Amino acid sequence: MQLIVNIVVLAAIYALISCGYVLVYRVSRVLNLAHGELMMLGAYLLLSTAGLFAGNPMAAIAVALLLSLTVGILVYVLLMRKMTGEMVLAAVLTTVALGILLRGLVVLVWSAQQQNPAQPLAFTNAAIELPGGGRISIFAGILVLVTAATYAVVFAFLRFGRWGVRMRAAGQNPLLAAQRGVNLHAIYALAWSLSTLTGSMAGMLIALDSGLDSTMVIIGLKAFPAALVGGLDSLLGALAGSLIVAAAEVLAIHYIDPLLSDVVPFLVLIAMLAVRPWGLFGTREELDRV
Amino acid sequence: MSRPMPRASGYFRTDYRRDLGLVETRLEWTSLALFIVALLAFPFLASPFHLDLACQVFLAAIGSLSLMLLTGYAGQISLGHAGLLAAGAFTVGILFREVQAPFWLTLPAAALVGGLLGILFGLPSLRLRGLYLAVSTLALHFVVVYLGGEYETRRGFSTGITIDPPQIFGRALTSNRAWYFILLVFAAATLLICVNLLRSRTGRAWGAIRARETVAEALGIGVAGYKLLAFVISSAITAVAGALFAYYRGFVSVEAFSLFLSISYVAMTIIGGMGSLLGALLGAVFVTLFPYVIEAGLLALPGAQRYAGQLFAVNYSAFGLVMILFLVFEPLGLVGIWHRIQAYFLLWPFKHRPLSGSRK
Amino acid sequence: MTEALLSIEKLEVVYQRAITAVQGITLSVRAGQIVALLGTNGAGKTTTLRAISGFLGIDDARVTQGTIMFRGERIENRPPNEITRRGIVLVPERDKVFPNLTVAENLVAPVARGVGAGERAGREALVYRFFPQLGDLKNRIAGLLSGGERQMLALGSAIVCQPELLLVDELSLGLAPVVVEDLLHRLLEIKSELGITILIVDQSAASALEIADYGYVMENGRIVLDGSAERLRGHQDIQEFYLGQTGDTRRSYRDVKQYRRSRRWYG
Repeated sequence: MQLIVNIVVLAAIYALISCGYVLVYRVSRVLNLAHGELMMLGAYLLLSTAGLFAGNPMAAIAVALLLSLTVGILVYVLLMRKMTGEMVLAAVLTTVALGILLRGLVVLVWSAQQQNPAQPLAFTNAAIELPGGGRISIFAGILVLVTAATYAVVFAFLRFGRWGVRMRAAGQNPLLAAQRGVNLHAIYALAWSLSTLTGSMAGMLIALDSGLDSTMVIIGLKAFPAALVGGLDSLLGALAGSLIVAAAEVLAIHYIDPLLSDVVPFLVLIAMLAVRPWGLFGTREELDRV
Repeated sequence: MSRPMPRASGYFRTDYRRDLGLVETRLEWTSLALFIVALLAFPFLASPFHLDLACQVFLAAIGSLSLMLLTGYAGQISLGHAGLLAAGAFTVGILFREVQAPFWLTLPAAALVGGLLGILFGLPSLRLRGLYLAVSTLALHFVVVYLGGEYETRRGFSTGITIDPPQIFGRALTSNRAWYFILLVFAAATLLICVNLLRSRTGRAWGAIRARETVAEALGIGVAGYKLLAFVISSAITAVAGALFAYYRGFVSVEAFSLFLSISYVAMTIIGGMGSLLGALLGAVFVTLFPYVIEAGLLALPGAQRYAGQLFAVNYSAFGLVMILFLVFEPLGLVGIWHRIQAYFLLWPFKHRPLSGSRK
Repeated sequence: MTEALLSIEKLEVVYQRAITAVQGITLSVRAGQIVALLGTNGAGKTTTLRAISGFLGIDDARVTQGTIMFRGERIENRPPNEITRRGIVLVPERDKVFPNLTVAENLVAPVARGVGAGERAGREALVYRFFPQLGDLKNRIAGLLSGGERQMLALGSAIVCQPELLLVDELSLGLAPVVVEDLLHRLLEIKSELGITILIVDQSAASALEIADYGYVMENGRIVLDGSAERLRGHQDIQEFYLGQTGDTRRSYRDVKQYRRSRRWYG
């Protein structure tokens, strides 16, 4: 039972992070490899606002979320906007460079020690007993609920109305989309801000659950195989991929070797790339019609 | 790398031997001679610190050239470069620890391991392109690094494997100057291999694959074979670079081969200028010397003492910033800047070259 | 005198800050006309259309001199979606559909300016009326369509945007003559029913002059001749160099000169 709880929690973590990868990829075909760092930035922002609003946890969280939304818009407006319409690979490398820059800045501003925003917010992370014999900490539980809610909202947004199709169109052929009236900058800024928001939520919840230090970025990195396995431009795929990767990881740690935890997502990724590169639910790209 | 057109000043190539030559005009010969003299004289004029820097640049240049072959010329993106360096380094480490193998066995062994891994890294390229290929190389990098880490833990080298300096004619190779010349030879050899490879049929095939893969296939170029060849050659050279790195440092540890190292090499190709061997070299110099320049600059600033402790983070931030600046403002890298300067002087007083009409 | 709907003056377009593709052209299109822009490869025709409809970053192109006026407003160097919103829609030469979306999704994606949902549905129905074949292909992935079907879809998705001025780039490229004829007729139908003005660019002068009222000929980034369609069709140089007609007699290879007669754009 505890195994199942672990899988669900890990899957929720990966899913919430993958939501961000999918949003940005769908709209611009860019794999935002700075997502892990942006996630971490969100958690550190919560740390600061927790210090500022020591007595008022709700305000701290709200302000931190608002700040991360702003960060997302800023990242697009100041940086990724210049790469609109350029080669995708150049844009991906730009996100990598951004990630490196953010990692350095975070250590400079906040120091590399491990900290926990739960402290200034006076949150306790008790464990809840579940029917069936498993245990789950409060924040892990909240994380699962938040993931479910986020997915419901984003699904609704993309399904009802044409913007889901337009996002995919902009991803496939930005020039043609612009020539058909789609405001690329607006749609990109929207995607980036939503992506950073969901990533920050994940970062904050993980930090509240188990502490915050600069190794959180690795979790962000491990989540992108989940997005890829499901299909980088499919939200449903992100859910499916997260479940698969989380299950594989938890089971491998339990039955084979704990050291495998960092490698398993990538092994699953390699397997999927060999069989079906565009993922379970992704749009099949690169039609080879000359 | 395309050969420049015959010079307008009346210099023409009049036979095949001349056409194949790498150095042609008197100016080129003189510059090359001066450069070689400078390179040879350097170790006798520089401090040990600078010698170490130069050695690092040479090591980086080998890796950078091999990545440029793969990414800049064959068009196969690879984010797993650090994994291949690690493979070379660990081959040396393992062979040294387990069987006390001498360097003239370990280096070829490293090349062999690199080549074999190259096949593994290259297999995804037969089905994937662009971003997906990059991602697959990234995943493989993690796997290789994990295996290296497993070896370290299982065999009890939790902090890393120490390696004795290689023995040449019975004498241990520890002198900085000796290392300088050896690495210079390796780097020059790599450069020569790359230049000649690119002038050959293989190089042209790679160029075709990079430009339009489907069309290359239609023209009868065995795309799959050449892609794998690119990976194999590049990985073999990279593994040798990793092996040399291991011997130079005397120490192999999995922490040195992080994702950041892969990105550094990719940065070398970008900052230097994609698709140019000169760019690979310039990029290697730039990226290797960058942290030292930052450190020197930081120490020169007045209130900088308190940041001295966080040098690592400052390095990271500065590196990320510079990489962003190059990607956004000068995607053709240092070589691109050089070409722009050249074009400015060549075209002056005209600003632009018209398409075709005015040539009639 | 009817004012020009679109008027371009002394336009210069530069690629990559180094190459001048269009060197000072002046042309105008009146409302309700079909204007043809002719020329060989590399003349700068596509660049002109792209300049009117807007460049993106990846093109690395810019209008460096001159003006493009649409209904009296300057529109050069504006982003493509703004231009579309003003009523100028381009049917591009390459990449004219979204290859991984279905036909139906391709018609959903365009943004029609200022219309409600009902009118929008009516618009899409209009497209299916003009191109009945698309109705059968609604769930087909656009990248797998044949050349003619793809061109129909491209025209259809342009119509959804409610254009006042339709820019058509290389309608006939890669298509069988029968298909081209069909498309030209439908274009005329669309024009008369919706009252659109059309600027058509084509390497096949015969196709373009078939439906055009007025024409411009471009070479090496400059306009070298213009006139009504009849005048162009009758012009000797056009006939020889663009329509392939060299008089009624057959020529033997012996008579073909090694050099081309240089084009004298007089008369």
